[in-house]
Amino acid sequence: MTAQTAGSPVPAAPVPSRAPGEGRARPARDSRRSLARIGTTLGASIGALIWISPLILLVISAVRPLSDFLSNGPVSWPQELTLANFPEAWEAGRFGTAYLNSAFLLLVKVPLGVFVASLLAYALSKLEMPFRNAILFTVVLGMTIPIYIAIVPLFTMLRGVGMTDSILGIIPPYVAFGLPLQVLILQAFFRRVPDELLEAARIDGAGDVRIFFRMVLPLSVPALVTVAILDGVATWNELFLALSLLSSEENQTIPLGLLNFQGQFATNYTGLAAGILIAVVPILVLYMLLQKYIVGGLTAGATKG
Amino acid sequence: MTTSTLRPPGRLRPSLLPLAFAAPALLLYLGFLVWPALQALWISLTDWDGLSDTQSFVGLANYRAMLDDPVVGIAAWNNVLWSLVTIALPMALGLLFAVVLNRKSRTSPILRTIFYAPAVLPLVSIASIWAWMYDPSDGAINTVLGAVGLSGFEQSWLGQDSTALWSVMVPAVWVRTGFPMLLYLAALQSIPDELYEAASVDGATRWQQFTRITFPSLRDTHYIVLALSLIESFKVFDLVYAMTYGGPGYSTQVMGTWMYANVFQYFEAGYGTAIAVVITIVAIAAGIPYVRSQVKSS
Amino acid sequence: MDATRHPDLSGHGSRRRFLTGALALPGAAALSSCASGIGTSSAATDGLTLLNYDDIDSATLLREQLAELETDTGVRTTLDTVPGSGAAQFPDKLRTRILGGNAPDLWQIWGGQIGQPFVDAGLTMDLAPYYESYVWEERLGAAGIDGMTFHGARHGAPLNVASLGAWCNARIFEEAGAAVPTTYDELEEANELILASGITPGGFGGKYGWHIMRLYEYLLEVTAGPELHDALLVGEESWDQQAVMESFDLFQAWNARGWITPGALGVAPPDAEQSFVQGTSAFTISGPWIESQYIVPSGKPREEFGTFLLPTGHEAVRHSGFVEGLMISSTSGAPDDAAAVIDHILQPEVQRELQNSQSAVLAAPPDPDEFPLSAQWTQIREESEIYTIQDQAFPKAVADSYFAVQSKVLQGNLSSAEAARDMQQIVKDWTDQR
Repeated sequence: MTAQTAGSPVPAAPVPSRAPGEGRARPARDSRRSLARIGTTLGASIGALIWISPLILLVISAVRPLSDFLSNGPVSWPQELTLANFPEAWEAGRFGTAYLNSAFLLLVKVPLGVFVASLLAYALSKLEMPFRNAILFTVVLGMTIPIYIAIVPLFTMLRGVGMTDSILGIIPPYVAFGLPLQVLILQAFFRRVPDELLEAARIDGAGDVRIFFRMVLPLSVPALVTVAILDGVATWNELFLALSLLSSEENQTIPLGLLNFQGQFATNYTGLAAGILIAVVPILVLYMLLQKYIVGGLTAGATKG
Repeated sequence: MTTSTLRPPGRLRPSLLPLAFAAPALLLYLGFLVWPALQALWISLTDWDGLSDTQSFVGLANYRAMLDDPVVGIAAWNNVLWSLVTIALPMALGLLFAVVLNRKSRTSPILRTIFYAPAVLPLVSIASIWAWMYDPSDGAINTVLGAVGLSGFEQSWLGQDSTALWSVMVPAVWVRTGFPMLLYLAALQSIPDELYEAASVDGATRWQQFTRITFPSLRDTHYIVLALSLIESFKVFDLVYAMTYGGPGYSTQVMGTWMYANVFQYFEAGYGTAIAVVITIVAIAAGIPYVRSQVKSS
Repeated sequence: MDATRHPDLSGHGSRRRFLTGALALPGAAALSSCASGIGTSSAATDGLTLLNYDDIDSATLLREQLAELETDTGVRTTLDTVPGSGAAQFPDKLRTRILGGNAPDLWQIWGGQIGQPFVDAGLTMDLAPYYESYVWEERLGAAGIDGMTFHGARHGAPLNVASLGAWCNARIFEEAGAAVPTTYDELEEANELILASGITPGGFGGKYGWHIMRLYEYLLEVTAGPELHDALLVGEESWDQQAVMESFDLFQAWNARGWITPGALGVAPPDAEQSFVQGTSAFTISGPWIESQYIVPSGKPREEFGTFLLPTGHEAVRHSGFVEGLMISSTSGAPDDAAAVIDHILQPEVQRELQNSQSAVLAAPPDPDEFPLSAQWTQIREESEIYTIQDQAFPKAVADSYFAVQSKVLQGNLSSAEAARDMQQIVKDWTDQR
């Protein structure tokens, strides 16, 4: 704003584009800059509004009665607002149980997976690991393997140890399928921890275990948080494996709870919308709180080349 | 083993210590990913129906049968289209959003959150939301088209061969743009401001700055995003399954859904698994250069 | 997870050994795992498990009934449901559970080609002794029992016999000046009148294929008549003939004239099925569940809606229908208890408690006060026979090929003659395989 007023004493006709002069060009360019800035912000805001519009639709659907939705269609202004869908959705989706299970996975599986991945990533990036490249290669290649190729053998295997239909039993395959990306990101990050730092610690008599816990992990918090958030979102939303492995209701997770809204012949859309919000809000809030770590983590990984 | 001399005695032998670190992850990985996948390889060589307790070894018959299956042709081509679009657009949009939002301003964090938000939604919700959007009679898209006088463009988006696949790609792009945006944002912040200041002094336009400084500086990020998207794109299954179920007819079948149909619905576990094996092999082949570059650079 | 357990991995020479081991073993493991694929069910000690696809409300009602049974007899049954799965996905879920050795003792399933694979794989029990001891033969409708009979043996007890007919918004019919049709031509006239009044006559959803199929199979029944229709479904008559082409012509015409939901192929069945309740279409083809699931919750007066048998113009006016029933796992540890559960569920008063408006139990017709429209079907069924709904006449793979033909016809990508030829090829490939 200030730049604009500074440039305006001359009631200038539209500033000629790309004025090559020196003295006069500065204020003109500043004013153009700030105009462009406002334009960009405006454009970005409109873009964001369009981008988010399906979610706005979702929120509107969640706060209107089903009858209103059915008689007026999805794209219409609600005749009546209600919060009744939320307790109803909470009940129908058995979100009480689902939340507990999903939270358990989030709190146990994610840290466990990230920890296990960081151990391997450390071995691959900072230790004299035999067949280092071959192992890294094999693990990272796992990213390409679709989960559904393994479902039937996985099922038989878990049955063998009596771990089908159990929240604990689903953890090992979840960890396994999460590993490749986590190891890839973490080992790239660990590699950027200066060797001199670790050598210095070693000379001071610190062992690898100590170095790992006392230096590498603390130095890598941004990367660990990044990986944990990505993994957390994936775990929170995973449907295919959960649908196949968890059959009884006391073991269902959030996405399975969402499925509960859909009857054999009917779909309770407003309840579904409310349920989606119930399911999504925690992860969205978590993301908003932690997003600076994500960007920070990825930045740190990218800078120290 | 060069560091072994530095180690105090009494600890694990140096060659074992890295293994101790690696073992938990490797065991889980081998046991719950590699092993089941290898078992699937075996199933693809049988005529197992996925249900009975009998099966016989049929060699490569399932693989040969794929050549005569017209749906495999449709699915493979759809996979190619899917990969092209759902890689290129999220990359381009992700970069655009990142460049626009890479400023210190009060709105940027909010906008960032908005653009990333779809990436955290559960699949069930994405499919439902977009089903409403595409509803031919009172969906948002046709309603809006009608309202702005473009009613000629109103379509049954998911209900005709010509638009169905493209329509499923839209939510895919919507969901997939967030992650590249984050990666680009991260990378952008690592480009030193001095570069731009110097260029600015030299009179370079914003566009010139973008093409000469920003874009080349992001080369590593382009590569990572490209590789990750490529790998991801081969796994396409859930959105197609939930939104069109492979239809109308077979027009939106992709390899993943066709595999699923055979294994879980047609009681052709052997044949379906063979399809899964082929997707996996192609995905691995496509992923190898990237993985190798990652391994090499270390 | 300590490192000492894996010293062999560190040896340089062992890598090859390890890899070959990994490659050589899965075969054996897969074989053994598949051989034991049909695992044993949970022991009777922790009770029985019943798997179905009820939504929350129906599941709650059923749980109450199962709890009652437990108080009376001590037979404990846990109900697991896969709500929202429907005939397209529920069989997959059941199959995965059976494979995982977690087979339910009882499960609900559709008849025809949907239940058949489970019977063929030897996963279900022949219920003949229970039919005898519980006199099910006399208490259950013949159509239902037929639907649960596979290769001549009773591999399930029917729970529902669903009759499909037109369910309509009577107000829209009235305002358009259309009468309930008694001939096919009158139905076409009604369509034109309704269309002229600005409303889409038929609400159909083509996603998954099975809903719009209800229109096509009706048209085929109109043009081919009962005998030919039945013969076509089992491949005894060629599809490549006049009557079939005519049916595809009609199918195409319904779309071209705007008698069905615009862009029907992309519409999900639940949206289409309820559109006549919302008033965006005049009717749909559906079954009695529509009354409890859409009409009652809409809160609109019941007089605004109606249901009728679709006219076919043949001496015997038949309608499409399907059967759902309960099967007992061949690995159940307590089949007698499981049969007792089925018998309890099939008690007329229990069926009424479950608010079943399409019960296979003869003594449990829909309550005319609660479900007046569904109750009409008790009457209709006395005069009209059922033909097998087409997606249960064909195995899923064949049905999907058939849906692809329908989809091409509707989009104008296939002429009726080509469609008839394609259908003949599809059905012939299937019958040859058998």
